[in-house]
Amino acid sequence: MTYDKTWSNRIFDGVNYTLLTLIGLVCIIPFIYVLAVSFTAPHIVAQGGFILYPKEISLSAYKYIFSTNTLVRSLGVSVYVTVVGTLINLVFTSLLAYPLSRPHLKGRSLMLLAVLFTMLFNGGLIPTYYVVKSLGMIDSLWSLMIPSAISAFNLIVLKNFFQQIPDGLEDSAKIDGCNDLGILFRIVIPLSLPAIATFGLFYAVDHWNKFFSAVMYINTNTKWPIQVVLREIVINASSRIGDTNIEEMNIQPLTIKMAVIVFATLPIIAVYPFLQKHFAKGVMLGSVKG
Amino acid sequence: MKRNNKLALVSAAVASTMLVSVACSSGGEAPSAGKQAAAPEDTSPLNLNIAITQVGDIPAKGNAVEQAIEKYTNTKLDFQWIPSSAYNDKINVMLASNEMPKLLKVNQGPTVTNAIESQLFWEIGPYLKDYKNLNAQNKQFYENIAVEGKIYGVPLYRNMGRGANVYRKDWMDNLKLAYPKTLDEWYNVLKALTLNDPDKNGKNDTYGMVLHKTYNQGSASIPTRFAVMMGGINKWGVDKDGNFTPEYMTPEFFDVLKLFRRLYAENLINQDFAVLDATEAEKMMDTGRAGMRFGVATNGKSQQDRLNKTNPNAVVDVASFEGPKGIRIASENGNNGFLVIPKSSVKTEAEMKRVLGFLDKLMDPQMSTLLLRGIEGTHFGNTADGRTEFVGDGFNIFQREVKPYRDNLTVLEGYNVKPLKDVPIGEKGTKMESDGIQYIVSNPALSLKSQTFSERGQELDQMMMDAQTKFIMGKIDEAGWQEEINKWKKAGGDKLIAEYKAAYLKMKK
Repeated sequence: MTYDKTWSNRIFDGVNYTLLTLIGLVCIIPFIYVLAVSFTAPHIVAQGGFILYPKEISLSAYKYIFSTNTLVRSLGVSVYVTVVGTLINLVFTSLLAYPLSRPHLKGRSLMLLAVLFTMLFNGGLIPTYYVVKSLGMIDSLWSLMIPSAISAFNLIVLKNFFQQIPDGLEDSAKIDGCNDLGILFRIVIPLSLPAIATFGLFYAVDHWNKFFSAVMYINTNTKWPIQVVLREIVINASSRIGDTNIEEMNIQPLTIKMAVIVFATLPIIAVYPFLQKHFAKGVMLGSVKG
Repeated sequence: MKRNNKLALVSAAVASTMLVSVACSSGGEAPSAGKQAAAPEDTSPLNLNIAITQVGDIPAKGNAVEQAIEKYTNTKLDFQWIPSSAYNDKINVMLASNEMPKLLKVNQGPTVTNAIESQLFWEIGPYLKDYKNLNAQNKQFYENIAVEGKIYGVPLYRNMGRGANVYRKDWMDNLKLAYPKTLDEWYNVLKALTLNDPDKNGKNDTYGMVLHKTYNQGSASIPTRFAVMMGGINKWGVDKDGNFTPEYMTPEFFDVLKLFRRLYAENLINQDFAVLDATEAEKMMDTGRAGMRFGVATNGKSQQDRLNKTNPNAVVDVASFEGPKGIRIASENGNNGFLVIPKSSVKTEAEMKRVLGFLDKLMDPQMSTLLLRGIEGTHFGNTADGRTEFVGDGFNIFQREVKPYRDNLTVLEGYNVKPLKDVPIGEKGTKMESDGIQYIVSNPALSLKSQTFSERGQELDQMMMDAQTKFIMGKIDEAGWQEEINKWKKAGGDKLIAEYKAAYLKMKK
């Protein structure tokens, strides 16, 4: 398709390009800044000012953060919790969502009501802590995965998605001798892969960002996920003089904070491009009412 | 079909009851097992788990420092490091679920006071006299954390008179200014540091002092420190009959506010102070745009270091808060939290005494040296004149390996430890902090109990802090200030005053 470019067209395009470029820069510059500062020699950063490229390249910040294995270890914990936790999430959520999506199940609405109830009311911090404690999960990584195994919201969306799968499919599978579990794993799940991938991503991000429950339930510092370590380094160290009652803290120079951020963001940046297409597709699913 | 359903329902019910009973029985067993383990045997190493705040990186388990402590104190230590960002939440959960270690670091606050009042911790006051080091410390340390006159914890001692002014000596010398003593002199100095180009760069780009949005909060409140220096009271004053007066109603405090109001009106302090972050204010000092900041005496050295990164000629000095009545320093609370011994984990008096003995031993010369200076050869060395100094990269290694323990255990700089050889400003700061105790003005309401304060103290404080800001910015006049005080009194201030009086008289009895 071709059309003549009039002046107004060109101006319109010009304005568009400029605006989009500006918005793009606004998104990218902070990342460049973080990256640049992490590679700059500390004494240049101390002079202040805005840094877009390292005037004097130094790896001292990275040497510092890798001088102990704290970060690598906590990254390992986070990856473990994210992978195993997400698997648990998906298995449990589908196992509950599927029966709830079958209209012939007795007591279905009661069950659904119970799920909805948890969205409105929760036990609160201390009762939840008691539950985790009496299940013997304190100071165990299970405490980060089991109590949040099913998200009520995700469950309901997934249930609605399962409902769209025609009953006929199920019936014909039954005639061919398939039992209920077989139907779920051989028919329903393969048909719902985009939705499963999306919720997998939702759950994975949840696990990756786990901070508060980790602080509450995990007592041994070698089992902390990366967010807890990150927060200590990035946020706490910057509040050094708010209250002079606090002894002067170990002040982490800006370069170290930035290096830590780069290090902790890397896995997400590495994984996201491969999931992005599922993500964009999956979110739309189930949003149209048939 | 129907029968099947019923069967399923019944079996589900049975299964769930079984689950519940299993959970209950395992819950019931736990305490008895704990009792067995806690059977005291005086010669075997004491198993001691301690929950404390994380400071910087967490040292690896069983490192040299931990081993040295274990060996000297005959204990088996198990530290639980809690990130400071979630410390209070975590402690609250621990208190509520009664799942506590044998030693727990807590900070003063309503929850902790409630826990103390419900007798969750051992009262250690009567035992203190048996422990030479704990007993040797200033009584004020303990009074500051007492609850209704009784002592339930061993403070992480901090010098109470640490407050000092960190200032640019080179700027003062450039302008031939004498260090101020009265409020008028302060006005002149702050004015000169702002307008007379103290850094000689030909630009009007400096301030004498930079305020930030938390300038009047907590024990570092600048107006309070100023008022105390001028002879006023530290937050609260009390007369011999137990009548309490808040600082807002004293002339000294009001004079300080008037000074800042004038400085603000004449553009001699930063106009954006009500919203400026404390870290931004710090940065202005670091980059040579501000001449003074109120901090603690040992800030002088670190300030000098930071300034010299950008300006090698900068000279920093520290000065005590000295006014017409001599040096007067608003006292800090004298602790960085305190260690309590929960009754649920330490069941017998004998074991409690052993735990106290551990804390006492930490203040012996050998342990004090370890916690304050590190390991000889690795971190520090002895000098010919009987002092200690960090060797090589010792200071930085100390910060990583020893500081986490120092900040969380019972030690006090200057007690049972040889002085540290340092740059002059560092030595001066350390000495000023130890000496400061002679000049402190205490807050008599610090450990008094008030229902109103625990319920609405924050809100009441906030009212008056906002009023101070409004007054300095000229949004209200003197009559308006009076009105704010009256509002505060009606909103609960009067009740607070009465409750403090009652608590004070009860304690004096």
